[in-house]
Amino acid sequence: MKLRHHLSLLVAVLALSSATAVLGAGDLAGMRTIPAGTYEPLLRTKLDAPQVPVPAFLLDERPVSNADYLAFVTANPKWRRSQVSPLFADKSYLQHWAGDLEPGPAAPPDAPVVRVSWFAARAYARWAGKRLPTTAEWELAAAAGYDRPDGRNDEAMKRDLYAWLARPVPAVLGDPANLRPNLHGVRGLHGLVWEWVDDFNTAMVTGESRADNGIDRDLFCGAGSVGASDTTDYAAFMRAALRSSLKAPNTTTSLGFRCARGAAPLTASTP
Amino acid sequence: MKTHRILITAAFALLCRSLLAGDAAAPARVNTLLPEEPKPACCAPAPKVEKKDACCAAEPKVAAKDACCAAPADAAPFSAASLYQTDVAFTNDAGKAFRLGELRGRPVVLTMFFASCGYACPLLVTDMQALRAKLPAEVRERAVFVLVSFDVERDTPAALATYRAQRNLAGDWVLLHGDDDAVRELAALLGVKYKQEAAGGFSHSNLITVLNGEGEVVHQRTGLKGGLDETAAALTAMR
Repeated sequence: MKLRHHLSLLVAVLALSSATAVLGAGDLAGMRTIPAGTYEPLLRTKLDAPQVPVPAFLLDERPVSNADYLAFVTANPKWRRSQVSPLFADKSYLQHWAGDLEPGPAAPPDAPVVRVSWFAARAYARWAGKRLPTTAEWELAAAAGYDRPDGRNDEAMKRDLYAWLARPVPAVLGDPANLRPNLHGVRGLHGLVWEWVDDFNTAMVTGESRADNGIDRDLFCGAGSVGASDTTDYAAFMRAALRSSLKAPNTTTSLGFRCARGAAPLTASTP
Repeated sequence: MKTHRILITAAFALLCRSLLAGDAAAPARVNTLLPEEPKPACCAPAPKVEKKDACCAAEPKVAAKDACCAAPADAAPFSAASLYQTDVAFTNDAGKAFRLGELRGRPVVLTMFFASCGYACPLLVTDMQALRAKLPAEVRERAVFVLVSFDVERDTPAALATYRAQRNLAGDWVLLHGDDDAVRELAALLGVKYKQEAAGGFSHSNLITVLNGEGEVVHQRTGLKGGLDETAAALTAMR
């Protein structure tokens, strides 16, 4: 991740001002500003920067719901369950929906949509004029506590987070409106579902995290041994492990997504 | 460091067992799962791909192609497993827009790389050259060798043209530049993982992929050593 300290603020300001200039207030409804900050990757090799500056961006207040996703598949027949290409989504895609255009009792309108692949989440985001957040953005937003920037010191949030992790996924997911918003006004980053990020397919941790022998080293260029910056952040380990275990067409009963817009991802070419 | 790795492993084991099955498990289960899940990274099942026509295939945009060797691409929809269903756009090293569907009808050897890579990529390209030399003439004449760069900033079409000259890559090599979106989508389609490092380089999977005329993955060589005979066989077998 290239460090662009001096540019990031400018980029953030430009991106946000242009976003607000182009969009009506209604278009920004349901999104919250995540102020510029620093993401400290949980797992990194000696080749990764310990701190990644993240320009300010907008993030959906809540995960994409079944109602939202119904509008998407209604407008885009190729993403309906019966028509989706197996290249872009596995067999469990929207399996809990009653029909192609009928979410049904297992997928209440306000509950997060799950059983969607990375390709599907990306296509939705594009259709909505948004994009998926990067790992750095998602983690930065999720690092906030209920009432303070650093959730690691927020006992109430930690209690809720670990209580969620200990619960099995319910057959029918709830409405994120019932979850307490974090400092940035964002709900459900923890507590309902896991969420796709745009760069889930980073070359971070697979086999080489446990066996950095010659064979594994050949699978990756640049792969080094992975170290963790904060070994107490169990939930972050789980997220990192989930991301690296996923393939883009995979879908699961506990994996949804939300969208972002604003400042471009750090790895993208400047527009 | 050892503790860290154990934790990472534990998280993997837990997730592969529970999350993909759709149930978030209690942290207390971590240790008990460890011995049962020795290969957590591989447990996300690859989707089973059925052979049937996709109703949703992107309209293939047929552009100018090498008249000498390309089979004529028709307007039929791409197959359900065809990578050419993706509509992402690239630019070749001549600065012309390029869609992967333009490769339809030809055996393709495709690798993601970056030009300033000092370790694996030169070996990967050398392997592709060795592979090309191994192929029977009638296969080599139809095959196309594609390099797609991770480095959206530095590997401009001009930089790729320089790379082509440096490596003496003939006309049957296609060098592609894409934006971050296009590169990330192609990597996801191929199962390539990558990450930009602080110094600007990339960690990435070392993967050579063979596509048949329909753009379906028929073979992948992982790693850096050996396997070229199998790759050549995969290319020769498809007719």
